Amino acid sequence: MIRLEKVTWQHGPSAGRERETLANISFAVPQGGFRWLLGPSGAGKSSLLRLLHLEALPRSGTCELLGTSITPHVKRSALARLRQRISMVHQDYRLMPTLSIADNVGLPLRLQKRDEDEVAQEVSTLLTWMGLGARQSSCPAELSGGEQQRTAIARAVVSRPAIILADEPTNALDEAQAVRVLTMLRELTAMGTTVIVATHNDALVRRYPAPALHLEHGKLIGDE
Amino acid sequence: MSSRKQARDGLALAHALPDRSLIAMVAAMSLLAALTFAGAFGARELSARWARGAANLMTVQVPDPEKPAIVPSDSAAASRADAVLSLLQTLPSLRRAHRLDTQELDRLLAPWLGNTGTSALPLPAVVEVDLTSGATLPDTFVTTVQSEAPGTLIERNDDWREQLHAIARSLLVCAALAITLVGGIAAAVIGMATRLGLGARRDSLIILHGLGAPDGYVAGRFARRVALLAFGGGALGTILAVLPIAVVSRLMAPLSGAAVSHETWPSLLRDSLHSLTIGGTSTDLLIGLGCIPLIMTILGWGTAQTIVRIWLRRLP
Ligand SMILES: Nc1ncnc2c1ncn2[C@@H]1O[C@H](COP(=O)(O)OP(=O)(O)OP(=O)(O)O)[C@@H](O)[C@H]1O
Ligand SMILES: [Mg+2]
Repeated sequence: MIRLEKVTWQHGPSAGRERETLANISFAVPQGGFRWLLGPSGAGKSSLLRLLHLEALPRSGTCELLGTSITPHVKRSALARLRQRISMVHQDYRLMPTLSIADNVGLPLRLQKRDEDEVAQEVSTLLTWMGLGARQSSCPAELSGGEQQRTAIARAVVSRPAIILADEPTNALDEAQAVRVLTMLRELTAMGTTVIVATHNDALVRRYPAPALHLEHGKLIGDE
Repeated sequence: MSSRKQARDGLALAHALPDRSLIAMVAAMSLLAALTFAGAFGARELSARWARGAANLMTVQVPDPEKPAIVPSDSAAASRADAVLSLLQTLPSLRRAHRLDTQELDRLLAPWLGNTGTSALPLPAVVEVDLTSGATLPDTFVTTVQSEAPGTLIERNDDWREQLHAIARSLLVCAALAITLVGGIAAAVIGMATRLGLGARRDSLIILHGLGAPDGYVAGRFARRVALLAFGGGALGTILAVLPIAVVSRLMAPLSGAAVSHETWPSLLRDSLHSLTIGGTSTDLLIGLGCIPLIMTILGWGTAQTIVRIWLRRLP
């Protein structure tokens, strides 16, 4: 469950900026819901996803994620636990350069102190499904952009999080791979995962009709 | 996948921290701390030893020793020196009272008067008194002596012992200050190395934080690595300090009562090492030195924990 009410946020200090990055945002997504996040470049899509991923805390308004109300007084340990249940696919992938693909994908499971055999099993299955079975021991730098993006997607889903936030998760993928990824994300919602996908890919949106959040200049202009 | 011990979280701390300079700096600090500690320890031992020897000695000087003493009317008239001597005999804590004879006085005064003989000078009688250890003089003793032989000087070496203790105490305070300072510098160096490591792993830390790694996890990873390096530095510095300390303590041995002399350096070194291994060196000193690597380890662990947790506060 995601619920935002009149949330405002901006980059850097509040003084000396003509407008907020996100202004007066209110919407709710039930558990297991799917939302497209649409809007022109610079509208604030990535900023909104970062806020939902708790990389920043809202300046004003109320924000509730998975039953926890996000205020400046929330304990850091509680935020860390929440982050383990909210996965994000970043626009720039954010893979660990020193780790192999398999270790990158296994990282969320290891942070949850899962059994090593289980980690190896899950990672291997998922990477094979993603078409990266042969690249498991490669470093991110040795991979193509699309392969890196698929690794980032695998890392986001491997721990079966309650919320998946994906920032243009298919922009480096070909049509067939994009469809595959979207199908998987839709299947995850059926299993109770809440998914928000930011994208510029209109064809994909038409192919998978779903409610969309429209952002423009940091304001939510449509929620249907 | 094999169960490699190494944490596969991308921090790669084996390459993130300035290992060698951290070990070298901590080793230098530990060396300084070890030498300071050993110096203070030696000073304390020496002063304690000297003070112990002096504690039970008392010197009594009776001017005009042969003049008659002022004695109660019923007693036989005696010389002032004899009166004092017999008063000393009444002390329950007396072990020995010895009046120096002319030759002994001559020998005592030779450095000042030369070997001209002293019989011509009006010298006081000097009595060396040996008391049982820890003895105190009864309050009435001094007044009685003064009434029978006015002008008699009773000099307990207690004053001297007090002074020795004061010197030893201030040396210990100085050493404690120096060791605290060294600890502070070590903590600062460790803190800076940790900051360097955090800077080198900035992106990885942000990713880990985003994946939900708790502060305690990241701080623990850094703290364990830094503690290991600090232990290495501490052990190295302490080991380097042991040889000079052994040599100095051997050189000091005659001063604290042991009869050793060394004609050549090799024999001194051999003896020093021998005393280290065969327990000739105080166990307290060895325990103290052994604590230095442990203290450095704890210091490294605590400093890294603090610095990392403060650094992570910039991420919500
Ligand atoms: N680190 C930053 N510091 C200051 N301003 C920033 C920063 N990152 C983004 N912005 C600004 O915030 C606004 C929203 O940016 P955001 O990245 O959220 O847009 P977006 O909708 O994701 O765009 P795109 O579709 O191009 O990814 C933009 O005006 C951008 O210039
Ligand atoms: Mg963006």
